[in-house]
Amino acid sequence: MSYEEYLAGDPVIVTAALTGGVHGKEANPALPETPEEIGRAAGEAAEAGASVVHLHARRPNGERSFAVDRFEEIDEAVRRHAPEVVIQHSTGGTGVPDEVRHQPLRTDPPPEMASLDMGPLNRYDHLTSENTRALVDSLHAEMVDRGIKPELEVFNDGHRNEVHGLLDRRRLADPVYATLIFGPGTLTRPRPRNFLTATDDLPDGAVFNTLGFGRHQLPFATMGLLFGGHVRVGLEDNVYYERGTLAESNAQLVARVGRLAEELGREVASPAQAREILGL
Amino acid sequence: MACPYLAYRAAAGGHAFDEERAFCTATGEFVQPMRADICNGRYDLAHADDCEIYRERVDGAGTAHDEET
Repeated sequence: MSYEEYLAGDPVIVTAALTGGVHGKEANPALPETPEEIGRAAGEAAEAGASVVHLHARRPNGERSFAVDRFEEIDEAVRRHAPEVVIQHSTGGTGVPDEVRHQPLRTDPPPEMASLDMGPLNRYDHLTSENTRALVDSLHAEMVDRGIKPELEVFNDGHRNEVHGLLDRRRLADPVYATLIFGPGTLTRPRPRNFLTATDDLPDGAVFNTLGFGRHQLPFATMGLLFGGHVRVGLEDNVYYERGTLAESNAQLVARVGRLAEELGREVASPAQAREILGL
Repeated sequence: MACPYLAYRAAAGGHAFDEERAFCTATGEFVQPMRADICNGRYDLAHADDCEIYRERVDGAGTAHDEET
């Protein structure tokens, strides 16, 4: 994908990362945590232009859950409020045993998409989410078995090697879909030259999504728009609307990037268009 | 084993919640949900190994900063 695709005006898929599993309402009271809150947030985000929702599950007090039935409760709520949206489950989970990481793939019905973290990343000062190749392969194998499209999460430059390595080891359905992630810590440093390098270095035919953490969300979404990619926004990745002002909702962040896309001449993809682009 | 600094509170420091949430009595702040798994010793996590706040309190070994956004 490239500037030529931007010039062609291809539709842009907006993914809303509604809740996450790191911070919660202590960071922004508008962040949805319960199934009903997440379902309502999905409906509002879909109305604002999101065609994919990226989901984590939580206990009633906001703490992380990986339980199949909790994901099913959330999916049911999302379906009530946003019947057409593409559901994408997270399989991320720092400090969680590998077997537990498979659970979000085992809902009935399975999600259309699921995230696949491409390698290790540090959390806090003493934790690493290992994401070994063995885990990546076993998660991918289960996704294939259950007809789930992987969203390859590329947290840093080394993870691009892992994408190429995964393609050497396993066959991935076309198109390969990779989220390029920029931010602090283990993530790729959020600099435009790093974004350009990353987009140039993906496998041929790959489709990319752009994720900037915190204050990098809007500028990196804009770069994604300008280079023919897709964008992810939401309270999982950024709790602020602008410096010092908390975002009011996920939908507020989705609507802003939708306005930006349209000003730049790119149509915001409907869920049907997103399914076509992603080969779902 | 749960961290001795862990408490569950519904309100503190100007924040109020419907459900009691993990609160760190060492920092006087509500805990990020992911960090609460460390506080509670879930999975293979342990506050004595994995929490820089606890380690700093006990032996001054931590740096007690957080790069999460």
